[in-house]
Amino acid sequence: MLKEVNVKKFLIYAGTVAVLVFFSLIMLSGNILKKPLGSDDDIPGAIENMLEAVENGAWNDASEEIGSLESAWNKVLKRIQFGSERDEINQLSKSIARLKGALEARDKSGSLMELHEAYMHWENLGK
Amino acid sequence: MNEGLVVVVRAIISFFTLLILARLLGKEQISQLTFFDYILGITIGSIASEATVDLSSRAWPHFIGLVSWAVLAYLMQYISLKWRYAAKLIEGEPVIVIMNGKILDNVLKKMKFRVSDVLELLRNQGIFDMNEVDYAILEPNGSLSVLKKPEYLPVTRQDLKIKAKPTGISTELVYDGKLIKQNLRQMNKDEKWLMNQLKKHGINDVSEAFLVLINDAGSLYVDKYDDDIKNVKDIGDYKGPY
Repeated sequence: MLKEVNVKKFLIYAGTVAVLVFFSLIMLSGNILKKPLGSDDDIPGAIENMLEAVENGAWNDASEEIGSLESAWNKVLKRIQFGSERDEINQLSKSIARLKGALEARDKSGSLMELHEAYMHWENLGK
Repeated sequence: MNEGLVVVVRAIISFFTLLILARLLGKEQISQLTFFDYILGITIGSIASEATVDLSSRAWPHFIGLVSWAVLAYLMQYISLKWRYAAKLIEGEPVIVIMNGKILDNVLKKMKFRVSDVLELLRNQGIFDMNEVDYAILEPNGSLSVLKKPEYLPVTRQDLKIKAKPTGISTELVYDGKLIKQNLRQMNKDEKWLMNQLKKHGINDVSEAFLVLINDAGSLYVDKYDDDIKNVKDIGDYKGPY
């Protein structure tokens, strides 16, 4: 009977620790889950491609790539929202929106600024 | 960002973290609150609420803050337990404010307590006549412990020289229709004995009993689900919406 009580006690303590560890993992998940898991959620990759396209004046390529960036962001957002700041998330969304405008206007300096800012916000997610 | 969903998840995390930390800090937090314990409770609660709804920062720093405060409180409890000097410094100590029926006004002044506060605390304990009070001690949690003069204490069986049979505390044998075998074993009874007792109360199965208690004297309290009370007395004094 004493052994049973000890086992129950151990399970309770272990369970409590496991719950706290699980909570910690959720809260720290932002920095890990923002990284690309496949080919369709690669935000830094999309930003780099767009930087190259804008530098080279390939506006059509850049405009195509913005679609990939948006869908990648929508995918990543769903999984990082529990471990990231709302302001950082909103800032990245705003950067992407302004970037769309800059690309439509074929504004090289504006596009580059927004791309670098977007990358900075992505880096700050989950930190 | 689905703010509603994020708030729900953060609320679940804060709720269960707070529950775990409150259990870690023990029952002392609830029953023996000093002024600092009260402030500690408010601060920890405030951090937990911020962890739930403050989406402008991550939940992690709030979680760390919550755990830090709880760990510090636990350390303080532990130090107070092991080192009396620290306990006196941190928690204070009980102070006599009425001795031999006389109010120690210099002590009240030191404790920043008014006589009216003492009278209020006495009235809360049903004491309206100062002549009844022999000793009154102001506890660290702000409550007043009172010893009445012998002539005002309630009569006990011992005073009347009546022998009292010890009853002990009650142990649950059946709770919400379920038999608690561990308690039955503890009281050196078995299921056959219990069913015999329950049959005397018109119960043929354990599931018909809502609550069955037994005390050390062997006296049984049985409450059935079916109370046989047709009209429950309405003690409300106002005809409300229902």
